[in-house]
Amino acid sequence: MNTFKLRILACDKVFFDGDAEQLIVPTKDGEWGIMANHSQMVSAIEIGLIKYKPKDGEWVKAIVSDGLLDVRNNVVELIVYSCEKPEEIDRFRAEAAKERALEQMLAKQSIREYHVSAASLARAMARLKYSGKDI
Amino acid sequence: MASAKEISNRIKSIKDTMKITRAMYMISSIKLRKARKKLEDTEPYFYGLQNAIAGILYRFPDVESLFFDNRPKDKVERRKRRGIVVITGDKGMCGAYNHNAIKRAEELIKESPKCRLFVVGAVGRNYFATRGYPLPSDFTYTATNPSIHRARNIAETIIELYKKERLDEVYVIYTRMVNSLVSEVEVEGVLPLKERKFAKAEILKRKKEAHKAHGHHVDEDLPDVQDGDDKDSALLYGEEMIIHPSADELIEKIVYNYVTGFIYGALVESSASEENARMTAMNSATDNAKDILKELSLQFNKVRQAAITQEITEVIGGAKALKTNK
Repeated sequence: MNTFKLRILACDKVFFDGDAEQLIVPTKDGEWGIMANHSQMVSAIEIGLIKYKPKDGEWVKAIVSDGLLDVRNNVVELIVYSCEKPEEIDRFRAEAAKERALEQMLAKQSIREYHVSAASLARAMARLKYSGKDI
Repeated sequence: MASAKEISNRIKSIKDTMKITRAMYMISSIKLRKARKKLEDTEPYFYGLQNAIAGILYRFPDVESLFFDNRPKDKVERRKRRGIVVITGDKGMCGAYNHNAIKRAEELIKESPKCRLFVVGAVGRNYFATRGYPLPSDFTYTATNPSIHRARNIAETIIELYKKERLDEVYVIYTRMVNSLVSEVEVEGVLPLKERKFAKAEILKRKKEAHKAHGHHVDEDLPDVQDGDDKDSALLYGEEMIIHPSADELIEKIVYNYVTGFIYGALVESSASEENARMTAMNSATDNAKDILKELSLQFNKVRQAAITQEITEVIGGAKALKTNK
């Protein structure tokens, strides 16, 4: 199967750097699949689950925060704040983060604080949804 | 000369201080190792983000956006409302680290007195507050243990003000660690996005490749990006680019990512520089204390010696006097 170069960069590590056959990312209007020789594209990624299939490997799933996707010349770069495998997620911490975000959203706050808490809540929910589960 | 009692008190107090400076040195060295690790971890992201954004902006269709430096009002308005983000430490005891950043900020303030300050770190905040600069009351972030969450909060504050056009340009002042001995204060403009600056290096590289492929002579000097550069970009990218979900949404996303990523990088760099500066300062303080101790113990011995000699002389003198009296 044809492959493309995939790089997944999170702010604390290089999550993946190598050849891949397929990549599926969540965007605002649903999931997008990318295969080799995709035409060039720039897209905004939503918080959620990504799947990719490394060359001759099994599908890998990871939970990402929002970010950018850049496709050009058969090179795909995914740049996100954070990227974690489901088994890496600390359910307890995610639960606490969810509680905190909910509490913050209830409190009177400015629009900016609302955005931040909403993003935190979305991340915590995504983590909880996919953590440890067989997906 | 001071009495033996005084000198031994002094020695004791210096020893106590030395204990503190030595402990601080060790703490800083551990923190520095942590900060360095963080810096290394975040570097691929930091540069990857900048590269990707450069590429995207270059291929982007010609649009006017609030976030670019081609806003219509830029051509009419001369005076800019400037926002300055200054990153300082939370504590002193780190040589000239805080002072350098503050000095650089003051230079920038002098250029445009009506700017708004956003200070990270307690030292800088206290400094500017006591000198009567207006500081936003809800902008109180610490500099230790930088996290992406904090960077996101800071970025959100700034972008919100920028969107409301309360700020026309935003600069970040931070300290970059060149190597373990040298760190430099840097001033970087983050908003509006400078299309040219971003795209320059990228364009040069790509142009060279394209020219080579077509057997043309390679121009050494930087080609400048003009509005009528479409021909070249068509040559490089024969096809249309898919922009998803829409240009405006994408630009906004890019801005949030870039500003957050940049501030995170600046926070990490600064905290590494701070720990490094503190380590150096504490190391020299400990060395200094050792020197003083050496001198004081010499002095103490001299005083003790003098006292003993005096006592012996007195005893001998007394004995002699008794003998002659007999």
